[in-house]
Amino acid sequence: MARAPKAGNEKEQGKKYSRRHFVAGGGVVLAGGALSSYAAPTAAAAPAKASDYPQSTAYLVYDSRQCAGCQSCMLACSLVHEGEASLSLSRIQVTRSVLTRYPYDIQIAVCRQCPEPLCVANCPTGACHIDIANGNVRRTDESRCIGCQTCLESCPFTPHRTVWKPDASKATKCDLCTDAPYFSKPGGPSGQQACVVTCPMGALKVVHELPSQTDIGGYDVNLAPPPPPPGQFGFPGAKPKGSAKSAPEKL
Amino acid sequence: MTTPGYAGKILKVDLTGKKVESIDTSKYEAFGGGYGMGVALFWDLCVAPGGWDLQDPFDPRNIVSLMTGPLAGTGLPYTGRTNVSGLSPQAWPICWFSRSNFGGSFSATLKMAGWDGVVVQGKAESPIYINIADDRVTLEDAQSLWGLNTWETQEEIYKTYSSKNHGRYGSEWQKIGDNYTTMLPSIVTIGMAGENKTRIGSLIHGGGSGAGQGGFGSVFGSKNLKAIAVIGTGSVKVADARAVRDAREWYSTKFPGRASSTGSAACTGCNRACRKRDATLGKDSDGCTESIWYNLPSPPFERTSTRDRSRAADIAQKYGINAFDICFGGPMAFPSPPDHPIQPAVPAHTGSGWYFKQLYDMGIIGPGKEIDTAPLPMEMYDQVEFAEAYATAICKRVGIGDLLAEGVARFAEAVGRISDMDTILRCPAWGFVDHWTMPSVEWAYGNLMDSRDINNHDMSLNSRTMTCEEVVKTAASGTLPCEGDAFMFDYSWQGEQAFETGVYSRHKAEFVAWRQHYATFYKESMLLCDWAFANLMSMASPDGKGATPETEPLFLKAVTGKDFKFADGIETGRKIWNLKRAIFSLQGRHRDMEKFAGFMCRPGASKAALGGRLPVYDGTKWEFQDCTDMYLDEQGVEHWKTAFYDVEGWDNMTGYPKRKTLEDLGLKHVADLLQARNKLGSG
Ligand code: SF4
Repeated sequence: MARAPKAGNEKEQGKKYSRRHFVAGGGVVLAGGALSSYAAPTAAAAPAKASDYPQSTAYLVYDSRQCAGCQSCMLACSLVHEGEASLSLSRIQVTRSVLTRYPYDIQIAVCRQCPEPLCVANCPTGACHIDIANGNVRRTDESRCIGCQTCLESCPFTPHRTVWKPDASKATKCDLCTDAPYFSKPGGPSGQQACVVTCPMGALKVVHELPSQTDIGGYDVNLAPPPPPPGQFGFPGAKPKGSAKSAPEKL
Repeated sequence: MTTPGYAGKILKVDLTGKKVESIDTSKYEAFGGGYGMGVALFWDLCVAPGGWDLQDPFDPRNIVSLMTGPLAGTGLPYTGRTNVSGLSPQAWPICWFSRSNFGGSFSATLKMAGWDGVVVQGKAESPIYINIADDRVTLEDAQSLWGLNTWETQEEIYKTYSSKNHGRYGSEWQKIGDNYTTMLPSIVTIGMAGENKTRIGSLIHGGGSGAGQGGFGSVFGSKNLKAIAVIGTGSVKVADARAVRDAREWYSTKFPGRASSTGSAACTGCNRACRKRDATLGKDSDGCTESIWYNLPSPPFERTSTRDRSRAADIAQKYGINAFDICFGGPMAFPSPPDHPIQPAVPAHTGSGWYFKQLYDMGIIGPGKEIDTAPLPMEMYDQVEFAEAYATAICKRVGIGDLLAEGVARFAEAVGRISDMDTILRCPAWGFVDHWTMPSVEWAYGNLMDSRDINNHDMSLNSRTMTCEEVVKTAASGTLPCEGDAFMFDYSWQGEQAFETGVYSRHKAEFVAWRQHYATFYKESMLLCDWAFANLMSMASPDGKGATPETEPLFLKAVTGKDFKFADGIETGRKIWNLKRAIFSLQGRHRDMEKFAGFMCRPGASKAALGGRLPVYDGTKWEFQDCTDMYLDEQGVEHWKTAFYDVEGWDNMTGYPKRKTLEDLGLKHVADLLQARNKLGSG
């Protein structure tokens, strides 16, 4: 249920920024409630000065209503990055509670490539970094990761978008397939992403404009295909009746 | 070393002794997975020890196994199902060894927890559920869950994992051992129908992924086993991750799934999304036959509204009852010919809901009669409240519900009307209700040689652009290793031609054998979904060739790394099929028993046909013909059986497998045991 902000949480002391700072710094003070975990600086309330961080050139957005909960994106993610199929190692998390009513049954958690990435800000070794050579995607350099889990705790979202790899005792995160050794397509912010190309529902997409940082709306977008024109319910040969503009015949 | 694709261990739970053990999967790898492993486990745990006649499915010695395959959880499409097997309470007149399966996320989760399957034997003293969290397996008290419906049960078990909201607004990672997951456990459970040991209890997972046919929910009930819950944080290792993902993309591009609309739901890894997230009333509930079990045949009734059908669907899911057996008519009804015993229209599925109303209308059963219809409010038959009363009476075994709980075939027997199977009660074989069985005779023959309705949705042959001859030749090019015989697809059913090349011919025997071996391995053991495989024809590809036989070995090779040939799977299927035949023989199967219900051999047999246009060869040319007048000839069926037993290497007189057949398949120990029990075929 409602998550109270972790005020005074010992783990957060000594960090440059924390979840709490992040929320408060944005000028949004929420005493709790389910949305608190998603609260981020609104455009209006954001500090006037532009972020010190270069913005990512690509963002993964999704449509939680269009999603079918098949988790193919998750399995594709772990296959191309880790070489094995795992839900726990996936950098996109799609949680489905089948006994909850649509559309509240599916929750999709993607890395937002935050304008002010707290995982990057707080990482003590620089493992979490901004990859200037690859469209400023926020990445983890696993060779520099010491497994301190700071980035997991720093991520202001629930569930945290940084992912723990228990066998390696290292953290990792979505790199938009910049470094996906088992992916046979060019990845990265200007390339393709395994989750996007695998999704059978067209429920995932990469955009190149910074989505609105208000709540989740900027990322959970409408990607549903347009409905068929009137009279055309997918039956071959059916033509709209009395319509001046009939759809072009497919041969 | 564990072969990639497999988790490496099978979980064995002995409920009587409260013991949990692990069996090395490698011991059973020769049987592939799923049903194959289920059959082999049944042999080892139930047959080989001896001292049991293999008749009573509620005997604690019966096992119920839930098995996955190497493809589950890899992200390859159509691989989301879990096979269930054991002695079936629903099969009639003998509770044959049988199977069922269900989709959802259970199989992938089980693999990620490190298990290829779960096999349960014995009986708990009081209700329990099996809780699997990776390699930690516990038997939990389920007394407080007993009596809850399948949805409530799952919600209660969810609560033991996390108090955090698993909805749209976020679930936190939770720690399981040293690993983390955001997932809820995958749970398969039973409702009232299983708890009260009707013969038609189903297993329900999620909103309505279910294993209905066979009555395995009732086997759970007989063991005091309420549910199996699993949460898995590990991974499925594959031989070549790049090849796996590429194979998926290749397949999905070449054979696109049905265009899926917003609000669809899919099994783990699938691209078909055949289910619904936004079910009319329930929660992912209205998927298959359960969505139309309460759909009154029209005519004579008014059309049942979607809302009422959905209400009934939710009842079937929550009570965990096999909607097929209790069906009120199925999705549609077909106008009957004037002299047909069913008027005015033949319903697709003559389940007990439909059949018992016929008896009522005929005055055979009813209030105050020897067989009373109490407590059912017969005047409300056409109102959805009746569906609830009907299911409740069955699940609680109240009044006439006690007889109906035995399944439709045993119900007919109890009212002394088994001969209705010649006319109005359409159950082609072993008491399973008709399911598009005719005129696609391989479906009918498959039922007869197996122990249930085989679910043969995958064999449809049609094309908008090809001639009939091109269609049969294309289909025949895929049936490796006996490819090239177009007469396998000849449905001529009248005169000499039927015996030469048609439905009674050796060609049809070879096709049915191929189809059974295919299904036994690829669909039931590798768990490729019936809605996509086999696929001998596809209008999506320019040459009309389907995904079979190219896709299956491609998937298996990418996952296991083994140089897998399509025909290897057919041969393994034959091995499993023969091991199962040995179990049938021990249970009492004999050639003389393998007879269709009478209606199959009378005019009207094919009147409930979903697409009755089939290829027919008249001795000179091929042509698609409407075959909905087809019915079988008893002599013809016997002719076909002789050919079929010969193709399989079974004794012509008894139908028992022969020693040579079994030994060639590496099953000498099976031949020895059959011989000791006088069940080995001669020759
Ligand atoms: S692949 Fe697409 S439909 Fe499937 S879970 Fe991911 S986002 Fe949803």
